Amino acid sequence: MISGEAGASRRDFVVRIARAAGISPLVLGVLAGRGEALVPGEEADLAILYAALALEHHAIALYDVGLERGLFPAGLRAHAVEFRGDHLGHRDTQVAIAEERGGRPPEALASYELGPLQPGDRFVQRALEIEVAAQRAYTGLISQIRTRDYLLSAAFILVDEVRHMTVWRRALGLQIY
Amino acid sequence: MDSTGRQGARSARRRLLGLIALSPAAAWLPAAARLEATDYAGSREVLDAIDAFEVDVASRLEALEVAVPAARAFVESLSRDHLRHREDRRTLRRRLGLEPAPSPPDAAAEDVDLAGLRAAQEALVFAHAEGLPAMGDPAAVDTLARHMVDLSRHLTVIDLWIEGES
Repeated sequence: MISGEAGASRRDFVVRIARAAGISPLVLGVLAGRGEALVPGEEADLAILYAALALEHHAIALYDVGLERGLFPAGLRAHAVEFRGDHLGHRDTQVAIAEERGGRPPEALASYELGPLQPGDRFVQRALEIEVAAQRAYTGLISQIRTRDYLLSAAFILVDEVRHMTVWRRALGLQIY
Repeated sequence: MDSTGRQGARSARRRLLGLIALSPAAAWLPAAARLEATDYAGSREVLDAIDAFEVDVASRLEALEVAVPAARAFVESLSRDHLRHREDRRTLRRRLGLEPAPSPPDAAAEDVDLAGLRAAQEALVFAHAEGLPAMGDPAAVDTLARHMVDLSRHLTVIDLWIEGES
């Protein structure tokens, strides 16, 4: 349960990443903990799908840049490749779910404000940030999903995000248990 | 991570589940493949399964702690999470009007086997993931999803441990 200053700080962090990814104000409000609840149903599921997709696009963009420019430490490149592949899979699954429901899933932005990009541990830290944001967004939104099949997919995506986050935390020497 | 094939198997299952999620598009999937994802009938069945899988993991962790004293901090950390999760589930059962968890079977000391621990941990994670759609209660989904985050982290730590030993 998020509470107090630490909770507010965590929410700010997730909202900052989510806003940069292009997430809708409706879902941003939920992530910001402003008390708004999505009205359960198809529309809410699509709003969550689109928010999740925006984060996946953002994550793919970050991994693309990191891999293209050799910003990941050599020993961690295989993990980066694997995680990028996972995000592509999440994206494709959610695009398919949205289209099946007659939605128009958002495409990736033309460009992302990724900020200064430095190699090595600093870039791993950037990858960790987007994974933490994704994990917190999925965790915060999953209980608002009403469609069984999307809920199942979101659950397995969340398992992936935690895995990515844990691997990067360990690479940075942060506590993982 | 892919070298052992574990990750590949896991990814394959996730891809399959992704396809299953797209129900009309997956009509061609053989019945056996559809059955790979457990389709829980309701919240009691989910919670009973989770309780049973957690007992299995806990017994394996106990055996590990005895055999590998260096694993003590790891085991203690996971056990604290299990304790908190169990208490949350107890509260959840009360709120949902479900019977208390059945008494766990005697936890026989398991062989110290990281692969076995990993398999048991993965079963526990999957029970959460596959159980969420059957809960039918947003607050219950929220609670179990947060537990699943802890458990997925545990699973990754075990993976990293296995990777370090290979």
